[in-house]
Amino acid sequence: MKQPSKEIWISAQDLRNDPEVLEAAHREFPEESLLETLSGDGAMERVESSRRDFLKFLGFSLGAATVAASCEIPVKKAIPYVIKPDAIVPGVATYYASAWVDGGDVVPVLVKTREGRPIKVEGNALAPLTRGGTNARSQASVLSLYDTNRLQDAGRVQEGKVAYASWDELDKEVGQALAAATSIRLVSRTVASPTARAAIQAFVNARPGAAWIQYDPVSASGLLDAQEMCFGKRVLPSYHFDKAKVIVSFGADFLGTWISPVEYARDYAAGRRITDTANPAMSRHYQVESYMSLTGSNADHRILIKPSEQGAAIATLYNAIARARGLAAITAPSVNDRAAQALSRVAEELLAANGMALVVSDANNPAEQALIARMNEALGAHDTTITFSDYSLQRQGSDRAMKSLVDDMQSGKVDALVVLDGNPVFDAAFGKSFAEGMQKVKTRVSCSLTLDETAALCQWVAPASHGLESWGDAQPKADQVYLMQPTIAPLFKTRQWEESLLVWVGSDQWDRTAEQPYYEFLKKYWQEQLFPAQSKFASFTAFWESSLHDGLLALSAAGAAPTCQMDVTTLAGQISKPGTGEELICFETVNMGAGQFAGNPWLQEMPDPVTRCVWGNYLFVPIGWDGGNAYTMFKGLQDGDKVLLTANGIEREVTIVHQFGLAEGTYALALGYGREVVGTTGLQVGTDTRGWTHISGEGYSRSFVSEVQVSGKSGRDKEFACVQHHHTMGVKGQEKNGETINVDEKTVATIGEGYQGSLVDRSIIFQGTLEEVKGLETRIREKRTAFQSLNEKTLYPDYSDIYQLGHHWGMHIDLSACIGCGACTVACMAENNVPVVGKKEVFRHHEMTWLRIDRYFYGDLENPNVVYQPMLCQHCDNAPCENVCPVSATNHSSEGLNQMAYNRCIGTRYCANNCPYKVRRFNWLDYTKADIFPVNEPRLGQEELPFGADNLTRMVLNPDVTVRSRGVMEKCSFCVQRIQEGKLTAKKEGRPLRDGDVKSACMTACPTGAITFGDLNDKEGRLHSELESPLVYQVLEEVNTRPSVNYRAKVLNRHASLES
Amino acid sequence: MVNKCLLFSFLIAVVSLWSSTALPAQPSVAAGKDLFKANCAQCHNRNMKDKLTGPALGGTQERWAGREDLLYAWIRNSQAVIASGDPYAVALYNDWNKVLMNPFPNLTDDDIASILLYVDAVYTGTEGGTPAPAGDAVAVAEKPKTNYFLIYAVLAGLLAIIAVVLARIIANLDHMNKVAAGEFDAPRRTLAQILTSRSVIAFVIFALVVLGGYTTVNNAIAFGRQQNYAPEQPVKFSHATHAGVHKIDCQYCHDGARRSKHAVIPATNTCMNCHKAIKKGSTYGTAELTKIFASVGYNPNTDTYIDNYENMSREEVEAIYKKWIADNYVADNELVSLDNKGEKAVKDQWEHVVASLTNEQKSSLAGPIEWVRIHNLPDHVYFNHAQHVAVGKVACQDCHGKVEEMSVVKQYATLSMGWCINCHRETEVKFGENPYYQSYERYHREMASGQRQKVTVEDIGGTECQKCHY
Repeated sequence: MKQPSKEIWISAQDLRNDPEVLEAAHREFPEESLLETLSGDGAMERVESSRRDFLKFLGFSLGAATVAASCEIPVKKAIPYVIKPDAIVPGVATYYASAWVDGGDVVPVLVKTREGRPIKVEGNALAPLTRGGTNARSQASVLSLYDTNRLQDAGRVQEGKVAYASWDELDKEVGQALAAATSIRLVSRTVASPTARAAIQAFVNARPGAAWIQYDPVSASGLLDAQEMCFGKRVLPSYHFDKAKVIVSFGADFLGTWISPVEYARDYAAGRRITDTANPAMSRHYQVESYMSLTGSNADHRILIKPSEQGAAIATLYNAIARARGLAAITAPSVNDRAAQALSRVAEELLAANGMALVVSDANNPAEQALIARMNEALGAHDTTITFSDYSLQRQGSDRAMKSLVDDMQSGKVDALVVLDGNPVFDAAFGKSFAEGMQKVKTRVSCSLTLDETAALCQWVAPASHGLESWGDAQPKADQVYLMQPTIAPLFKTRQWEESLLVWVGSDQWDRTAEQPYYEFLKKYWQEQLFPAQSKFASFTAFWESSLHDGLLALSAAGAAPTCQMDVTTLAGQISKPGTGEELICFETVNMGAGQFAGNPWLQEMPDPVTRCVWGNYLFVPIGWDGGNAYTMFKGLQDGDKVLLTANGIEREVTIVHQFGLAEGTYALALGYGREVVGTTGLQVGTDTRGWTHISGEGYSRSFVSEVQVSGKSGRDKEFACVQHHHTMGVKGQEKNGETINVDEKTVATIGEGYQGSLVDRSIIFQGTLEEVKGLETRIREKRTAFQSLNEKTLYPDYSDIYQLGHHWGMHIDLSACIGCGACTVACMAENNVPVVGKKEVFRHHEMTWLRIDRYFYGDLENPNVVYQPMLCQHCDNAPCENVCPVSATNHSSEGLNQMAYNRCIGTRYCANNCPYKVRRFNWLDYTKADIFPVNEPRLGQEELPFGADNLTRMVLNPDVTVRSRGVMEKCSFCVQRIQEGKLTAKKEGRPLRDGDVKSACMTACPTGAITFGDLNDKEGRLHSELESPLVYQVLEEVNTRPSVNYRAKVLNRHASLES
Repeated sequence: MVNKCLLFSFLIAVVSLWSSTALPAQPSVAAGKDLFKANCAQCHNRNMKDKLTGPALGGTQERWAGREDLLYAWIRNSQAVIASGDPYAVALYNDWNKVLMNPFPNLTDDDIASILLYVDAVYTGTEGGTPAPAGDAVAVAEKPKTNYFLIYAVLAGLLAIIAVVLARIIANLDHMNKVAAGEFDAPRRTLAQILTSRSVIAFVIFALVVLGGYTTVNNAIAFGRQQNYAPEQPVKFSHATHAGVHKIDCQYCHDGARRSKHAVIPATNTCMNCHKAIKKGSTYGTAELTKIFASVGYNPNTDTYIDNYENMSREEVEAIYKKWIADNYVADNELVSLDNKGEKAVKDQWEHVVASLTNEQKSSLAGPIEWVRIHNLPDHVYFNHAQHVAVGKVACQDCHGKVEEMSVVKQYATLSMGWCINCHRETEVKFGENPYYQSYERYHREMASGQRQKVTVEDIGGTECQKCHY
């Protein structure tokens, strides 16, 4: 085992005590001055100012001030409703239960609307699927609603541009073309909506020769086909990660992107929560993968294999289990020795788990998935960790169907193509041939919300409405149906595609003249199909209203698990063979999906949890360890250098980032970047992976490729935007003589400046393993006792008398439950009007996120474990920032909040310098576009108006939170607007505040319940009980800041005898 | 040196002058009449001889003779006087079934004097003429009525002249001294030389800086404030008629006040609740109410809402409402048909309706009425009406003034931060009544033990930054 020299680290540069990192850690603000940066791209022609210029500016300012002062105060209007809707009280938020749906991904949500405009989504706590959890994508969906790049009317596409026509014209021409067509193909991603399926069926039934093809950008076709082979039904089973004691995942990123990550994350965290440290128990998680995925970073052990070795690895595990269970073994290629050794230990554990075992894989190969299915059955997982009666409908795409569609198109057999949902030209592995095939189709229509790569090749766009403007339903599981209701009338002349289909086919199953025809269709479907399936309600009206209010319908599903009907050993020939040479794997990230979110600036600016890079995809390259005290960087490159990557005969330039935990000879690159037709902000951000993802010989899409060549340095990304080394807070380093020191102290030594009393051995992360949880407990207790006795010797007055009055807000974050998915960071941006600053500004350390998720490595030097630490303002009761503000713009409230008064702030930034947690953010430029000087407004992409300057995008702003202007400091407020709202509601109702009345946005967004916000004075509250755990500590408690945020130590369940 | 002293006194004079520009007007019967109507007439009979909700006011001054201070205190806050145990006050309170008189803390001495003058004038039947020269009334009327500005101006002028004269004398004496000392060609300072001497110029500059700074700071603080802002509204809606005469509760229309951060400008359909029946206004007839109908699409001729109103052409809309205006004109003037004058009146009225309901952005008559917002807080201020109205039980008038007397609403308070903070410092929280405050255990203990008399908004953190700025 390669034991590290320090407990935790954030990157290889940090481990090596790279001077750049030391510099970054030392300086709150980056090296380049504003003038230098601006002059770099010609924004300012001359950067040096003469005295004359100074006088000119002085004169101008004085003149401007005089003119402004002499002007009359502008007349503001107060415009009431003509007829006020009953449900709306201006100034009070209204919530509607709905669902966020993206292809097969479903998150039941509550949509918060103010004065009729949706501004935030929260999880629906009633939903059995997620229990109130959300993900970053659903949190960001409100911004997509107000996307300026959305198509605004039906139109013709001419040379890649849309010329708006009218819906009447489109309906007439498309209707005629479809009526004349003998072979129509409807293409969509997985449709989770039963009513939409009924609409499609109505169309297909009415048009002989019509067919509907579903695909999934990141395909689960292999898994579905394997399920069909084994159990006779082409659906996914339900996985229960909470019930598993041993979890093995072959590449499946089930916490981040695989099938139903919000659901799995909640279950996974439940199975790993230590409620009782005296009798600790948690599941053990092995991740067999080739690059560090979000799920892999949370695993107890990662077993490294090359991407092409996955089939061999699955077969190896299968054979080990088959041997033990008396099944026939399969002849398969072998996996690397280290992995084989580790897998035999894994097999022992799986067998010992007594049915409480679960094996999953993202392999898009039916043979490999059949082995997994058989393995699970042999392990006794059926009806414990895997159930079938409540099967999942979250993925239904078929690669085979897609392949035959492409073949048909290319041979000219298809007359008309309607792309209902999705962007197959970009996001399907069939993209290139799909685009070629499209040229031979006579009538091509796209129902995309924005002009994308596929729509650009169509003749017509029939833009669909956004999910928040649409009626619909979603059935992610056989026993759960969720209702979607519109929370705003369509902003543009759009029409949901289900409705378009029914219009074009002239279906007799619906009433087109109704005010909301699709609503009537939906209701009819529910009345005819779903109402009889339940027994709770006698009248349909009551049933409908209850379903609409709760946003869901629970059905009963029961039945025994089926047994595998096939002999999997016959599939031996189909198991993929390990490739040769170096390999590239393309993977899906939590923020960008398969590229469908490229136009969403919140998701572009959300750091990738593992690499912590933004605005682009970066090639993971390995770090070598020389066995001593040094690392060998890949080909001597630095992060941010560009290289040429050649695979499948396609050469593209790509920016690199060094990454721990890569299998030998493997590179990894995120999907979904390098979009060519996508509005303005997401255009050509990152590198396209099309062509590298491809179709395997068996006709399944494949995300890895062998025989990859990577060149030496070909260039440098001048704006390499990685927040890795921004806002670090005193990570330990090692001196040349081997002595452990604090990085801050190192800067003091190297640069010769700093403050006295820099502390060595800061308490930022506490972590341990399940076996030695007692030792961890003792360590925390001893340290905290020492800190507290030190802190008692203080000159500060004691304010506890004040804090004991009323409320004292606090938070608890369980680092074992935090999976780093980033839902909270996007929720925070949405709730608090946090601006998006763009790649260049992030590169300059100017990101504005109030809540960041710090990622630390520990353990093995090449294949480390990871701990994610959400870091936000700690609301210290002895806040160092408050003492240094010359104007008292930041000060403390009697409720323990560290208050920030923007209107008082004069921008000295002393507070940010003095904050040991580095959570304060300064508005360097006019990120919220309130200024009049264009030079102060950064552009995100190639948009005409800076992002956020237009009235449409500004509709997403939370009206209860001030939009900050240039030159002021800001930071987490503990969602003070929610605190005030919760208090006011209690006061109005004349009752004491109840636990759970006030929840911060990050808390409600979290899929695993890692964050608990509450009143520290409430002794009966959930927060108080969380804080009773002996594993709770405070970050940097030794500096006596008395933070209000408490963390619970990260505990892993590592196998003592297994290396990595 | 002497020069400087003189100049200093001159400065003081000038500064005094500055501060004395805003002086109250003297009490008068006319002012008293307005004040009486505004404040007293709801409860006290206008003839001053009969009882109403409150006693007849005639002869008040005789009843309180010799104790005018107490009378003034009673008018401002009768509860305090009763609490002080004055036998007459207590007896009066008991006689009137312990119904408290509304407090009027905002009335100045002069206001009260005016009211009393008016009361006496009506009582003695000399209303409109000079008040009867009887006893106390005269004493009250003889409160200082000197014009301070004139006095200060004269004083300042005199001081300036004295300063100049003294300066001249000093200059002369100085000259004579020098002559006596043998300096025959010693220059004699002329008046012009004195006025342009360094010390005088320095003083003038000093005075200008002080005054300029004072003015600048004062104006800068008031910058953006709109106290007394009373813009013209698209509809001449009178709160005096609705809230004053007809006593419609504020929250009937401003229904957000008790449950939302916004008090809410009522939707047009709220107006229609009453104006379906009351189709002509008491002041403006059809002129203003037609705007409401045209906004919401109500046909007053047939008493129906118009179908598909939003898509009607301007001509169709015009026909409906012009007919309404014309019919009423004919009826009001007892004509058989519309005459030329009437036609013009209808045309003018209709044009006025169109002008009020449309603007550059809004070409259709249908749709909301765009009121001019009077109370504007800066974007970085969070204010919640429900907190103040539903929880704090603050009366609307405390911040908005006597809106029920305003035919055109104006901004009553400064809405400055100092104004907010002052109120938060003084206002007592409804501490015992609302179980929400149970968590403030120490305060409850302190109140129970008598250590603490009251809990103000400030005591529970009501003056902290992030209660209003976030």
